[in-house]
Amino acid sequence: MLNFNSTIKQKKTYGDIKIEEIEPIIKINLRSKKREFSKKIGKILSILPPTEANTSSGNEGYNLLWLSPDEWLVYSNNKNQSLKEQIDMEDKLFDEISKLNQGAVTNVSDHWIMINFKGNKIYDLLSKSCPFNFNEFKRKKGSVAQTLVNHVDVILHNRDNNELNLFVRRSFSEDLWLWINDSARFM
Amino acid sequence: MFIINCPYCGERDQSEFSCGGEAHIERPKQPTELSDDQWAEYLFMRKNIKGIQFERWNHAHGCRKWFNVVRDTSNDKIHAIYKMGERPPLK
Repeated sequence: MLNFNSTIKQKKTYGDIKIEEIEPIIKINLRSKKREFSKKIGKILSILPPTEANTSSGNEGYNLLWLSPDEWLVYSNNKNQSLKEQIDMEDKLFDEISKLNQGAVTNVSDHWIMINFKGNKIYDLLSKSCPFNFNEFKRKKGSVAQTLVNHVDVILHNRDNNELNLFVRRSFSEDLWLWINDSARFM
Repeated sequence: MFIINCPYCGERDQSEFSCGGEAHIERPKQPTELSDDQWAEYLFMRKNIKGIQFERWNHAHGCRKWFNVVRDTSNDKIHAIYKMGERPPLK
């Protein structure tokens, strides 16, 4: 775990658009259909898992994204969190949920690459090769969407006005990064 | 191309979904007692009608959940969408 070997490690600016990979941060996938699950997550992370589709909840430390009615993604806001803190948090979740048969906790830190987008034209950029309708998404802070960008599966998290985090699988990240850079040149 | 209203995520483009074929096909309770023809009938034979068809769809690039769609195959008009396990709204 956390043996990060990022494929991108770059930060680019194209006019108004800023693109940067944010790492290392811990990402954990949670799955459960049990009622007790929400309470346990609330106790450990001080955030309740969102039950409304395409939304997220969060605090200073972590964000909890809705992925499906029984699946969530937790990721840290803090790039400087120590390895020990990250492992402690994962162990706590694992002991309280996986070990007690309340659901599944999987560390996906190395599975997802997180790219941060900032700028007025980020939605124009993504819309070049994305079938998703961003009208509602960009108005609502904390919105989450799973969709395709240039035929690659992504998770989008609206962080703020004209700022979003995009999660892409590590094996597709380089391809998507090249496409993003190529498209951003013409914005 | 058409829009599908995922019962979990809302309206999304068809390219995010994959079709799982005809819905409401029951697995035989005693497969060992079937003849080869009966087994092949269950396993391979699908209606593929022109008109209203009950289908299973999967939001493959979204929430990854399965659900049922009542679709007119002649014009792609969707008449109803309902979750797995629910009764079909149309007959």
